[in-house]
Amino acid sequence: MGEHKQEWDRLLYIVPFLAIVPYLYSTGASSTDYWWLIIAAPLVFFATIAIAGQIWNGDETWVNRLKEGGILGLGALSVSLSAAVWLIYDYLEHHGHIETGDPFSWLTFDVLTYNGEGWSVASTGFSGIGFGIYLDAVSIMLLFVATFLCFLICWFAIGYMTTDSINDNSNHRFFAEFVLFSMGMFGMVLADNFLWLFIFWEIMGLCSYLLIGFYYWKPSAAYAAKKAFLTTRVGDVFLMIGLLMLYDIYGSLDFAVVFDDPSTGVGGALVDAGQLQTALLMLFIGAVGKSAQFPLHVWLPDAMEGPTPVSALIHAATMVNAGLYLVARMVPFVDVGHHGVAGMEELGLIVAWIGGITAFMAAAIAFVQNDIKKVLAYSTMSQLAYIFTGLGAALWLFNNGKHHAGALVFGGALFHLFNHAMAKGMLFMASGSVIHEVHHAHDHLSHDGDGSDHDHGSHHDFDPQDMRNMGGLASKLPITATAMMFGSMSIIGIPLIGGFWSKEIIVGKTWYAYFHGADALLGPALLILATAGMTGFYMSRMWFMTFAGEPKNELVDHVHEATPWIKTPLVLLSVITALGGFGLALFGMVDWLSGEYDHLALHKATFLDQVIYELEHAFLPEDMQLRYVGWTTIALSFILGPIMAARVYGGALKEGEQATGLVHWLTSLSGKFGSQNVDELANSQLAEALQQRLYFDDLYEGILARTIVPFANFAAWFDANVVDGVIKQIESNSVLGSVQIRRVTTGSARDYILMAAVGALSIFALIWGVSA
Amino acid sequence: MLSLDEMENLLPEMALVAGIVLAILVPNLGNATLRLPLTRVRIPLFIGGTRFTATSDPRLPARISIVAFSVAFFFSFFGIEGASGEIGGVIEVSSFSRMMSFVFYGALLLAAVATTYRMPARRGARAPRDKDSESRVEALVAALMDNRRQVDFHLLLMMVGLGMSLMAMASNLFFMFVAIELASLAAYVLVAFHKEEAVGGEAGAKYFIVGSVASATGIYGMSLVYLWAGDLDFDALAASWAAMDGLDPFAVIGVGLMLVAFGFKVSAAPFHLAAPDAYAGASSPVAGVLATASKAMGFVALFRVLIEVTMPAEGEALWFCIVAILAVITMTWGNLAALTSENPKRMLAYSSVAHAGYMLAALAAIGSGLGDSATTELVLVAVVFHLTILVLFKLGAFLVLGLLETEGRSHRLEDLHGLARRDPQLAGSMFIFMLALAGVPPLSGFLSKLLMINGIVNISAGTGSTSADAIVPWAETVDPVFWLAIAIVLNSALSLFYYLRLCLVMFFEEPEEAKPLRRARHLRRTILVLAVLTVFFGIGSGAEFLLDLVETAVSAM
Repeated sequence: MGEHKQEWDRLLYIVPFLAIVPYLYSTGASSTDYWWLIIAAPLVFFATIAIAGQIWNGDETWVNRLKEGGILGLGALSVSLSAAVWLIYDYLEHHGHIETGDPFSWLTFDVLTYNGEGWSVASTGFSGIGFGIYLDAVSIMLLFVATFLCFLICWFAIGYMTTDSINDNSNHRFFAEFVLFSMGMFGMVLADNFLWLFIFWEIMGLCSYLLIGFYYWKPSAAYAAKKAFLTTRVGDVFLMIGLLMLYDIYGSLDFAVVFDDPSTGVGGALVDAGQLQTALLMLFIGAVGKSAQFPLHVWLPDAMEGPTPVSALIHAATMVNAGLYLVARMVPFVDVGHHGVAGMEELGLIVAWIGGITAFMAAAIAFVQNDIKKVLAYSTMSQLAYIFTGLGAALWLFNNGKHHAGALVFGGALFHLFNHAMAKGMLFMASGSVIHEVHHAHDHLSHDGDGSDHDHGSHHDFDPQDMRNMGGLASKLPITATAMMFGSMSIIGIPLIGGFWSKEIIVGKTWYAYFHGADALLGPALLILATAGMTGFYMSRMWFMTFAGEPKNELVDHVHEATPWIKTPLVLLSVITALGGFGLALFGMVDWLSGEYDHLALHKATFLDQVIYELEHAFLPEDMQLRYVGWTTIALSFILGPIMAARVYGGALKEGEQATGLVHWLTSLSGKFGSQNVDELANSQLAEALQQRLYFDDLYEGILARTIVPFANFAAWFDANVVDGVIKQIESNSVLGSVQIRRVTTGSARDYILMAAVGALSIFALIWGVSA
Repeated sequence: MLSLDEMENLLPEMALVAGIVLAILVPNLGNATLRLPLTRVRIPLFIGGTRFTATSDPRLPARISIVAFSVAFFFSFFGIEGASGEIGGVIEVSSFSRMMSFVFYGALLLAAVATTYRMPARRGARAPRDKDSESRVEALVAALMDNRRQVDFHLLLMMVGLGMSLMAMASNLFFMFVAIELASLAAYVLVAFHKEEAVGGEAGAKYFIVGSVASATGIYGMSLVYLWAGDLDFDALAASWAAMDGLDPFAVIGVGLMLVAFGFKVSAAPFHLAAPDAYAGASSPVAGVLATASKAMGFVALFRVLIEVTMPAEGEALWFCIVAILAVITMTWGNLAALTSENPKRMLAYSSVAHAGYMLAALAAIGSGLGDSATTELVLVAVVFHLTILVLFKLGAFLVLGLLETEGRSHRLEDLHGLARRDPQLAGSMFIFMLALAGVPPLSGFLSKLLMINGIVNISAGTGSTSADAIVPWAETVDPVFWLAIAIVLNSALSLFYYLRLCLVMFFEEPEEAKPLRRARHLRRTILVLAVLTVFFGIGSGAEFLLDLVETAVSAM
């Protein structure tokens, strides 16, 4: 690959983009008038990059200066980020009381309605296609997560994608789809209407499909893309049904209309709890598909076929959160304290059970994965399931009038979403860094000196993602190892770091709901408690296998951290992951997210008071039951899991190898426990079943082969012979008619006049007919 | 003599008359003198002699016409709001007529700009000498030729503009005919302007012959109407029509004959047959004018006769059935014929036939008499809006072809092969124009089509039995107007075939010749502006602005 040059001057290109929002700010404009920039910038640059790439592929400036469109994408995302930050700043400044302005409307027109006697022009009703934004703490938080991570991961992708010759001349496709995806995510978060939410949801689904299948010539990638698209499609169909049911109930899909008073539907009718619950369950199935929860989880591990930045952004940090966002939007429906509809406990229970099952199952499967990205994929699934469990408990608590506890776990779950998105985005980027460098080391070794082109066939017998080829990388990739350490700690929930603050609340409050009447929540509560320990095991295992111990492959010696584009986001996110959780917890993030507080600030007199209050709250809650639950969680995740992992997979670095200070203690610590032979366990049937992902894929394929495939074959036959046949017939008839009709155009003026005379006579015949 | 107020109302036309006079005079200014007999005093005559350097510049006529059209264009635009006035009993300046002249001048201005590249004037072109090679001689002769006819071309173009604009302002049938003839006769010559090409002369002759027949028919119809009413003022005619007891054969036959004449102008089937030949033979800018401004002129005439004069206060108009049938035949014929056209110019000609069909369908819907004044106005707004934005994308498409034409290519589909590779900007613009012609959202072509269909459906709303819930009984009883909307939708689907085929070859075929196109800076910019406006007027505030403008105009009709 040659030497990696410092390429900071490329960043000069994004300065004009970054200047847009400060300029608008300096003119005294209001951020709420410019929210459309967040969506418009990526949309415009999606088209720009796609077209420019077609034209200038291979051009020197395009490849080296603009990074095949990466710099343009980064510029567009910087506009989105700065506009979002501006909006968030205004939102926080005004404690959430800002006018979002009139929705943008495209065109307005009359609509015919059937009034029982006939069709007439509707006096009211549908008046156009409008798009506005809906801002509350949840969407503000997600907006920040989305814009910030899209920006950083685009930055990372410039380094990751453009240094691999396999991507040459197709990177514009990557970046174009990447920014289109970003547009979808921003739009979904901002939408003030379930319909627009659904539209952007589908745009994301499309981009996910395109990006998983980025290496479409690889059968596995093409298969994975198809699988992801079809599996989420199952959920989407239900989601659409749910939306139609909601529309039936409320006569509108606007948040403003629906949330105003969810207990009364269209025309002031009281809403039937059973009907509403069915509608919400339909929405939840959509969320299950998008967020890869049991039983629609099978697509996510395969989705790792996409390039690593895609895994980081779409399949860890942003798109999979869409399902959570949708469930979070269900709170107004069930909150009996605020016009919610009572009698929908089952909704919360189902959500929590699905979450609990997925959390446990995914963690178990992650035990035996050797592909570094697959481990992270299952971990993503498991952590999202945590959030679902928390949201389920919140829905139950809200529906039982326990508003305060419900709000706490709701805020905690969304806080976990934030922590997880930051940590997991970074973990994937770090894994990308590992894969990238191992891959290049492999190329370097296998092509040393011969200078020939890449022979992609040679990669077949070597998998740069397999952790069994790694080990001892801590000294070679210090920044990556540190980032991965903080990320893993956050996911595990090591006290004081990142995810600890939110995971404690989820586990604690789920148990709280169980203690306060939700007997059915015992299952999910136990499952996520167990998962806490399992998370500690598999995340530690991944770290130890990759970074600690003796190198398992000679090429590890040739690994070195090189590309500057990759390092910067890792450092930035490491800091956020390490300190962000505690910091935001101090500022009352949880209560802000749940709407209890209207601004982020210290709520105790001094900083120290606040720190003590938070620590006391986390480690010594007043409720003794919760105290035990909390301590058990900590013990499992902090002590049991990591120590087990260290015993099995640990090991010290080679003699003479030195890791950086931040991770040095970890490698030497794991060396103390030493390695243990686990062949017996690894050969057991359970391990085999876990390797086969508990046979879910086989089961689904079997069912599909018996049901859908015959029908699909019939549909294909019908399409080819009947539908296409008709179209082709129409086309050929039209062409025939065209040839016939053009014969009349003889080219002789005499004939033209004859035709005109015929026309005139016909007119008179008609007039005569009409008047007679 | 016109009063000051009247002059102010006629400023755009004044500008054109001034342009015409200047275009005749200025290139002839020279240093000729007249010696007074028996004296040595020489009086400078200025006309004739050796021309001054400035006035002998062959680019001068083009500049004069561009300036005149620009002035007229802007005065028309500013006249749309609040123009009103009557002059000499035959001219009535209103927002509507200003709107239409705005459209006409816009189209002609674009044609004038494009012609500076299509028929370039070269300074210092010299006569061929003996030693020049044969091809060199040919090029020199062509350049001299182009220089010689600059004045003629732009003079004719300005006459077309003057005729069209006066036609839109006419409040008298006779005056309207005279104005139409002024515009048409100039247009016939413009079609045949490149007489050294066989196809041009032939096209012009055919167009002229068929056009004269149509005009003769129309004038004959007009004389019958005069026999019947004794007056040709529109208001008087409308009053006579309303007061008519039963149907007077003179009146009915007269109107029918005029319908034939205007059918030719809007190129409705089966009177359209000369149009494809004319478009293919004329230079692209001229063909663009025929497809937009000339068509708009025909529609204004139809508005006058059909809606102002013969539309009854309530109930179905006499011509409803005729126009509806004409509309369906026209759009289907146009689309079908375009389907297998291998010549892009012919294809665009047939597409403009199809578009005439859509607008005729909207007109027919008004004639059904089912709509109230609001829906009628809605449909009229849709039609005028469509006529306005056609200038953007129909003429835009012709300008793209015009640029190709400067290298002698635009008569075969192959000439567009791989245009995207040779010239992405041009191909991109053409792509937008094609999508707009097909009516794809969010382009303005979609908006106008949507408004037309919406209007037609609105008019048919309320008809059709809804006692049963099945579709079939409803479909049997719904007013035939509804099927016009269906016809438009089906035809639009059919039209996608050929619009997209053109795009397909632009983007996916290998170019026959890889060399980049001519630079033609101003023309390129013009095309780009047209493409941007095509989008701009289709969505958001741009569309609202233009629709407001059109509404003002239509409510003044």
